[in-house]
Amino acid sequence: MNGLLGRVFGVELRDELRAIVREPTSLFFGILMPVGLFVLFNLLYGHDITQGLSAGTAMVATFGTYGVITVAALQPGIGVAQDRDLGWLRMKRVSAVPIGVSLAAKATAALLYGVGVLVLMGVAAAAFGTLHASPWALLRVALVLLLGSVPFTLLSVAVGFRFRTGAATALLNAVLFPLAMLSGLWIPIQFLPSVVREIAKFLPTYHLAQLGLAQLGHGTSMIHVLALLVTTVAASGVAAMSYRHARI
Amino acid sequence: MATTQAVLAAEGLRYRYGETVALDGVDLRVDPGECVALLGPNGAGKSTLVAIAVGLLTPQHGTVRILGGDPRRAATRRQLGVAQQTLGFPNTLTVRELVTGAAVRGGLRAAAAGPILAELGLTELAPRRVSKLSGGQKQRVQLAMALVTEPTLLVLDEPTVGLDTAARRHFWQILARRRAQGAAVLVTTHLIEESAAVADRVVVLDRGRILADAPPQELVDRLPDRTVTARTGIASAELERLPGVLSVRREHDLTRIQTRSPEDLLRVLLARDPGLSELRVQDAGLEEAVVALTGDEEMVA
Repeated sequence: MNGLLGRVFGVELRDELRAIVREPTSLFFGILMPVGLFVLFNLLYGHDITQGLSAGTAMVATFGTYGVITVAALQPGIGVAQDRDLGWLRMKRVSAVPIGVSLAAKATAALLYGVGVLVLMGVAAAAFGTLHASPWALLRVALVLLLGSVPFTLLSVAVGFRFRTGAATALLNAVLFPLAMLSGLWIPIQFLPSVVREIAKFLPTYHLAQLGLAQLGHGTSMIHVLALLVTTVAASGVAAMSYRHARI
Repeated sequence: MATTQAVLAAEGLRYRYGETVALDGVDLRVDPGECVALLGPNGAGKSTLVAIAVGLLTPQHGTVRILGGDPRRAATRRQLGVAQQTLGFPNTLTVRELVTGAAVRGGLRAAAAGPILAELGLTELAPRRVSKLSGGQKQRVQLAMALVTEPTLLVLDEPTVGLDTAARRHFWQILARRRAQGAAVLVTTHLIEESAAVADRVVVLDRGRILADAPPQELVDRLPDRTVTARTGIASAELERLPGVLSVRREHDLTRIQTRSPEDLLRVLLARDPGLSELRVQDAGLEEAVVALTGDEEMVA
């Protein structure tokens, strides 16, 4: 029985990975654009030093957050909406695939692409000579960002259960861009107006990026961990509610 | 009475959506090897009945069993093969990947996809993305996905829509092979004459109730209507006044008469018109029989 569920998870994960790599829009917006922006900003400002940290290294945390959040927030929700629109979720239910296995496959695929995005960014920064951090610190950044992407996946899935494919895609993108801007994922938060810095304190993406920076020896962790835990609890509630009211 | 276990056994099913009654006490039994066609106008309750049979809906009253098991249980549902007309396909997967996925979801090895792809003539299309296929080809992919697990009960929704005549015949041949091995088929369709040709039993559903459950020929025989055609000089108005006559139509020089009592009509025709020629008496079709039951011409569209 568990062997069967394992194999079903394998097939579902395989399908989800293909859903990104074979879909040009997903591949572009989910992978190429975040990595491309990282490369661009790294070439422009990578060698600047702020608060003892090279900008190129800090970008691994900030653009890394942007990259990981992009796959975590877009792909699972759009996938759920698409599956519902196509009747695919219904088909899976008839084929006795537990919904948990389907969702876990979508979340895992997003995580794996998140890992890919981080590796590409790390390699690029190292190639440009802007990466000044111990492998252990970089590994901690990666783990923090991947773990911290979980609430975004949950919110994404909640949107997917609520809206049709087109609306879900538009909505998730519309939320993602201001979040990235206002949380200092593209432009470092200290260069943004003070009003933005006040708003950022209420944004989970800001706390995730700061937690990433903390692993590079820049700032504290505790408050950000708390903020992300609260977000995760809230996101779980929203996702559960959305699923219960969903038409499958 | 029944010694073999029914593949599908539904008893006293009732289901309502708010005020709308979808099923109003439905009993249905499908035995191994049987092909049962479910007919009825839109809104008759076919979709609700199928959704309950495949475990997507829980009946508000009554029971449904697949080989004695509750279809809401995953283990029971693994014995089902379902093809829905409304299923869309993700454009990121190939034919082979879809059928392989269906095999693995059903508890089989991925290699099980090979033979079924060959049987359905999909081997050459296997590396193609489904979004690039024609409607009939997509239909075959769905059928391959439903058949790959060798299900005991196939539930097929309008399975031959979009197939040409040759593909349609091939499709029923494939199903006949499965039925010979004991698989049962429950098919919902608008194509009444097709179900007359392939189904062992026809179940006519209307407004949540079963109006008839019998072999197609029996339904036709039950209908006393006959069509009498002849070349005759007797006036239409006169024919219309005869007992049992439903309608009279002139087509070129032929007269076509629908009647409930063909014997009475024939006696009159032969007695009054010595010049009568080209006399023909025909059965009503299953289509007429179903329309007579439901009083609904719509479903024949």
